Amino acid sequence: MTVTTPEAVDEALTPFPSSPDTHLTDPRTRATLRVQSRMLAATRAFLTAHGFQELLPPLIGPVTDPGIRGSKQVDVDFYGHKYKLMTSAILYKQASLLAFDKIFYIAPNVRLEPVETAVTHRHLAEFHQIDVEMRDARREDAMRLAEQLVTHVVTDVVASMPAELDVLGRDTDTLRQAVADTFGRVGHARATADLIAAGHPQDPAAEIDWQGEEIVSADADRPFFITDYPKGSRGFYDKEDPRRPGVLRNFDLIAPEGYGELASGSEREHDYATLVTRMRETGENPAKYGWYLDLARRGIPAGSGFGIGLERFTRYVTGRQAVWQASAYPKLPGVVSA
Amino acid sequence: MSTALVANGFPEEEVRSRARLGAAAVFPAESGYGNGLLGAGPAPYAPDRDDDLERIRIVPPVFMPERLKKLIDLGREPLYSDVELETVIGGFTSRLPLYVSAFGSTQVASHHLGEAVGRQAARLGVPLVIGENVVPVNGYRDADGAGVTPLLGRIAAYAEAADDEHGGVALQQSTEDADAEVWNLVYSDPVSEPLLATGRLAFELKVGQGAKPGLGGLTVLDRDTAGRVAEQYATDEVFGADSDRVLRASSPGTFTEEILRQQVRLMRNNFPRVKVWVKLHPGRDVALAAATAWAAGADAVTVDGAEGGTAWAPTGFLSHVGLPLADCLRRVGRKDRCLLASGRMWEGTRAVKALALGARAVGLGRAALLAVDEDREAGLRRLAEAFALETRMLTSAVGKYHVNALDPEDLLLPAAWRMSPATSGAA
Repeated sequence: MTVTTPEAVDEALTPFPSSPDTHLTDPRTRATLRVQSRMLAATRAFLTAHGFQELLPPLIGPVTDPGIRGSKQVDVDFYGHKYKLMTSAILYKQASLLAFDKIFYIAPNVRLEPVETAVTHRHLAEFHQIDVEMRDARREDAMRLAEQLVTHVVTDVVASMPAELDVLGRDTDTLRQAVADTFGRVGHARATADLIAAGHPQDPAAEIDWQGEEIVSADADRPFFITDYPKGSRGFYDKEDPRRPGVLRNFDLIAPEGYGELASGSEREHDYATLVTRMRETGENPAKYGWYLDLARRGIPAGSGFGIGLERFTRYVTGRQAVWQASAYPKLPGVVSA
Repeated sequence: MSTALVANGFPEEEVRSRARLGAAAVFPAESGYGNGLLGAGPAPYAPDRDDDLERIRIVPPVFMPERLKKLIDLGREPLYSDVELETVIGGFTSRLPLYVSAFGSTQVASHHLGEAVGRQAARLGVPLVIGENVVPVNGYRDADGAGVTPLLGRIAAYAEAADDEHGGVALQQSTEDADAEVWNLVYSDPVSEPLLATGRLAFELKVGQGAKPGLGGLTVLDRDTAGRVAEQYATDEVFGADSDRVLRASSPGTFTEEILRQQVRLMRNNFPRVKVWVKLHPGRDVALAAATAWAAGADAVTVDGAEGGTAWAPTGFLSHVGLPLADCLRRVGRKDRCLLASGRMWEGTRAVKALALGARAVGLGRAALLAVDEDREAGLRRLAEAFALETRMLTSAVGKYHVNALDPEDLLLPAAWRMSPATSGAA
């Protein structure tokens, strides 16, 4: 069986389909989508067994997640009011904890990413997230759950879909070994210092850039967490560490073999005054978050959560070259398609 | 002379004259040469003697070691024309220590005047700042999506007229603009690509402005337009309930040290391909604010003196509120960072004083508008030619041959002033 790494096959990358039929009738597309369907079933089974309530996600709202680097939101004319398509349902995830202690969505998101991300192999303008939120949970609880969930889904697919993985040329031993042990952990400051030492010009005050993320991912043979991102690199809802001002209690989960980021999560900020202040720090106008801040004034539960990019996760499990290959109707930034 | 654009308290006639005559307007009328008795009499335009920047004199020395260096370098006696004016402004290479300051949704700056200013700035190879509130008020695209509104029109006009090396566009976003996500829109719009690809797009975080320190933008709108933007802006019936016009008030936005630091860092995180500029109003803590912005990674900090402003402001503010530019420069001190200064800039002497006090470049606001109003094709170019000639003459007069070498020693400062020596901006 051949080992598939994104770098090794880069030159042979299938061109982005000009029409849906060539893509949909490709046996590799069918195998990928079957694996994805199985991953969703495994996700639902795992989360439900752990007491999580599945909710249907909202699609539009007066505001959406602003904490997105460089991407545009899509406006919807809602009876004369400007609404947004969800870039992520984070605000609703927090609110949902008023009803249930543990919730999840399989949520569609639309982010008009900058056109230069069309070639990262990791960005889609329309994608789905496995969105999980837990009341009164700490960041470490969310990380543990994300690790268990990813391990469960990978193990399930390896056991139940050998034929599809064979069609795709995905080495099941590599996958099995990747989730055999606990996931690695590295702080943002350390990851940044390592990148700089390796000659990559990473800004220590910023999110790890796409190229840097690919470098650290390619060096790894099992998934790992990057924790403690600096304030200024994430949205207002990631809680600041009270004992380490300027450091957020958040994390990214990075896949090995160069596949890059799979998930982002954090302990959530829920205190009204802190939320307003953090909104200003992130350049947001608190007035447009009316419903959310009103709710925060009355009390949003403390909690933690994360969102796993479903197509990215699928790409990792199936070993595809680009994330668009894990979508039946892919939308690449700046590319007009079906 | 064209329109009804007027600028009270500003040397409008002198600016218009330069926009017509260019470098010739630096001198007394040519017709007087050889018969008038020319000395240190009053200039035709009487500057405000309470303004420290006007009272400061530029004081050439007798001995000029820097001139000797230039003589050795050239192998001939240097002239004023040997002074180099090209400099780096907030990450952009500019042919002159000059940029065109922001004017936003204000009526005088909308529509074709704004585009004409942009085209001329681009041809000059100097940066252009595009003001806040252009999108929420004027819209981002026309309704059919095909047309060009002021913001995109101004970016496109600049990019088309510029060469690939000089100048650049800095785009402001106010609190209300953040609702319209102006930076996000522009960052991924194809119109911006030529500037992004050449590192010539900046985003300017507007903390405040000179004419109205501590207040947000104020403009006068007709009732129809006010109705359209009612969800984004507060309006005030200051002109009475029967008037067909209302006052539109933007919020100034709340800043603390931490908020400014984090907003700058977020800009760097979210928009890695742009330069980050920060515009400050002339607040009493302007030195701390500038140091905070630089430490967070701002490529340029603009200080807008209380004498600045194209926009509409309460008359009381114009006379009584905010630090004059000279005071701002004194408080910030000379730092090894890019400081930009605006406030009643239009000619070389005031600019050279600001540069010697630590500014890297000066911003033309009202002067640029008046010059382009005078001549859409070449008014700003001629004003800049006059500026360049004066700046070269003044710089060479103090024995220096690069504009960046100007220093407080070149100035006769008021007795009470004590300029701090150049230090790093993080102080």
